[in-house]
Amino acid sequence: MKQRIAVAGLIGLALWFLPYGLDSYAIHVVNVILIFAILAIGLGLVMGVAGQVNLAQVAFFGVGAYATAILTTHQGLGFWVSAVLAVLATVVVGVVVGTPALRVQSHYLGIVTLGLALAFTNWVTNAEIAGGAEGISAIPAPTLPGIDLSSEYLYYYLELAVFAVVLTFGLFVVRTGLGRRMRAMRDDALAAGALGAEVPVLRMTAFMLASVYGGVAGVLYAGLIRYVAPESFNIANMFLLLGMVIIGGRQSLIGCVIGAVSLALVREALVDHPTIAQVAYGSVVVLVVVFAPTGLAGLPTRIRALLARRRGHQGTAAQLQPFQPYETSPADDTRRTTAILEVEHVSKQFRGLKALDDVSLTVADREIRGIVGPNGSGKTTLFNVISGLYRPTAGRVRFLGRDMTGQAPYRLARAGMSRTFQNLRLFGDLTVEENLLVALDRSRTRQSWRYVLRPISVLRRDRDLHRQAREVLTRYGLTEFAGLAPKALPYGIQRRVEIARAVAAAPTLLLLDEPAAGLNGEEVRQLSEIVRSIRDSGLTVIIIEHNMGLVMSLCEQITVLASGRIIAEGRPDEVARDAAVIEAYLGDSMTADDLPTVPEVTR
Amino acid sequence: MQVFLQTVIGGVSLGAVYALVALGFSLVYRTMGLVNFAHGNVVTVGAYLASTFYLSTKLPFALAMVVAIGLTAAIGLVIERVLRPLENRDFDLMLIGTIGFGIVLDALIIMVWGATGRAVPSPVPSAPIELFGLRIRTYDLVVLAIAAAATVLLVLFLSRTKRGAAMQAVAMDHEAATAVGIHVGRSNAIAFMIGAGLAALAGGLVGPLLYVSPALGGALGIKGFAAAILGGFGSIPGAIVGGLAIGILDSFTAGHFQGYSELVTFLVFTVIIMVRPTGVFGERTVNRA
Repeated sequence: MKQRIAVAGLIGLALWFLPYGLDSYAIHVVNVILIFAILAIGLGLVMGVAGQVNLAQVAFFGVGAYATAILTTHQGLGFWVSAVLAVLATVVVGVVVGTPALRVQSHYLGIVTLGLALAFTNWVTNAEIAGGAEGISAIPAPTLPGIDLSSEYLYYYLELAVFAVVLTFGLFVVRTGLGRRMRAMRDDALAAGALGAEVPVLRMTAFMLASVYGGVAGVLYAGLIRYVAPESFNIANMFLLLGMVIIGGRQSLIGCVIGAVSLALVREALVDHPTIAQVAYGSVVVLVVVFAPTGLAGLPTRIRALLARRRGHQGTAAQLQPFQPYETSPADDTRRTTAILEVEHVSKQFRGLKALDDVSLTVADREIRGIVGPNGSGKTTLFNVISGLYRPTAGRVRFLGRDMTGQAPYRLARAGMSRTFQNLRLFGDLTVEENLLVALDRSRTRQSWRYVLRPISVLRRDRDLHRQAREVLTRYGLTEFAGLAPKALPYGIQRRVEIARAVAAAPTLLLLDEPAAGLNGEEVRQLSEIVRSIRDSGLTVIIIEHNMGLVMSLCEQITVLASGRIIAEGRPDEVARDAAVIEAYLGDSMTADDLPTVPEVTR
Repeated sequence: MQVFLQTVIGGVSLGAVYALVALGFSLVYRTMGLVNFAHGNVVTVGAYLASTFYLSTKLPFALAMVVAIGLTAAIGLVIERVLRPLENRDFDLMLIGTIGFGIVLDALIIMVWGATGRAVPSPVPSAPIELFGLRIRTYDLVVLAIAAAATVLLVLFLSRTKRGAAMQAVAMDHEAATAVGIHVGRSNAIAFMIGAGLAALAGGLVGPLLYVSPALGGALGIKGFAAAILGGFGSIPGAIVGGLAIGILDSFTAGHFQGYSELVTFLVFTVIIMVRPTGVFGERTVNRA
């Protein structure tokens, strides 16, 4: 840490004295590079951190610059007033451009944002107010008392200050709750939603953040060049910006800055051969995505990993510690009889296939309910309906007495429902600890204004979350894995992390989808202990499982599904004797002694 | 009414070109789930190659076209081969990779052919045909006929040949396709090759309609993509309907909004994608759970 502060201080000092060694052309280049760096940070936030393919960043830049130009020249407003209004205008545009992200993702979003960026250039080339193809010139230089900002040397310090502020703010966002939630959404929007991340709000927030960065860069550009024209905001520049972010490393803001600086310098060196520069950086983009997807910023980690492998370090020596049971919360008899979850006559139709057919079940407080059934009997579909991923074709789902049918998963999660997934949906690019932190963080994305107005309280909250995360890690014996990527862990430990994460969200009802799949005998025994302890701490658990030994010993009530219908319900011993169940599992000529324990093939 | 029909006719030939571009997008998408952002630039390459062989080498138009298609298809193969390590792993990265190829192609085009464009004369007599008081350019009919023939050939290839069936299989489930012995990489390569070939066909055909310049492919690419989405991504009839629809929409906005036509087209397109992301014939949901 100290080392990092020292490095940052040295870089700061170097930047402070940089203008003394530069001629007037060089300082101009440096000023332009800083603007691109701010733009790249914004693109890194929306694309690298939040995973939203945004090809309209250059349009945000343009809106900021053009709004400043129009307000200062046509309306005669002062530069700083115009600047504030310009950034606001950019945020409005950011919201408009981001709206499609609520419906579409990935390449669809890419093409829509690209189209909107083209629409913007089309508008400025034609609109009279924007000066058409000639653009707007004679933008007044910004003024500060006692400082002549028409000098590019002094303008540099203005830019440097803004750059330092926006970089710090960006890093602050990325390293705390909001950024973590965005990264979780990028890795797996479904799982993030199931943990209470308000995916639509988050996506809009990401676009708004990016537009603020674009707007600020645009304002600085207008103040620096004092002339705006459509070709500064064309698609070629968008792709250049994209190249900067990809080459630098989109998931790291520092990487984005490094990418912006290095690409801008290369472009400057090849200023007489722009096409060669373009071939060069285009090829580098291709090479980077194929061979080093984390970009320049990811190189140190990759090199370290490579060296470690050369030296023959095999894996980590981290050990799984035993689970420490929760304290039993005294059973509250008045709640004992209340229903936590009521599924009423739910059907779910997928075109021709009826996956669920008139399913009704009621789960009482602090019950461990097992749901079993042959493959394809509709168990996971039922979970998906309960947790809001699917809207049922017919029927209602009541949770804690409230009708929650068809509510978005994040609303259900916020109401107190948490789940795991059959095929494990851990956030791959987050560490184990961060996975837990996402679940622990119950703050609302809407309250992100705190980042601007009350940063200290955000920091304090975050420290508190980290403390809670350490407690969870200790309880589940995962402390030694805290800093590792989930993908690097053995399967059984990943399963445990996912359960810990689901419980960390402090739910009332926990849905476990085949938690024992792929576990060995000892792990299954531990799982049974964990689930029981979770229930004893006051939670209600519904568990889908194929491991009959586990289900029989753990569950108080078992519901058996076959072909989307409930064929039996009752205590384990009752269900095991039920003729319909035996037939569904084994055909009608066998006994129930060896019910299948083979886990469903993971798809 | 007269004006309306004339506007429709004006949009149909460009619409057919958009449909060809959309077919290229769709074919690659359905086979490997990837949107090739370099597709527009491939169209430009095709347009320049065809016009070069036609104008400079003085080949007959049809022959120039065939040579251009062959060369451009090779470019498609190169793109696929380089990005193959990412296939079925990270689509966002692949998407950015194709953008990278687009950047490179864009620069190469300017290096080889220069930044200024060229006009390509129509290979058929330019006097329009009069029909019920409507004027139809003969070249428009040529474009329509070739586009229709290409579509029929593509459909026959996909449905009647073993190779085509294999590609359909890869489209449905690449793992299952591997399991029955289909070389997924080769299948993807063929999809990319045909996609690039279709792009070259579109580029070659559009030469006499528009001005061939480095910026040609950008506009065609994004409109072709819009067409593919409008019809339902991955659907072949969708690409055709979408292409014609965008062509006609284009023709109307050009008439009504002049310089702002592009703005209006993209806004309409954005609204459509918000309302119905799967398009007219699309089946798959966009966000797969």
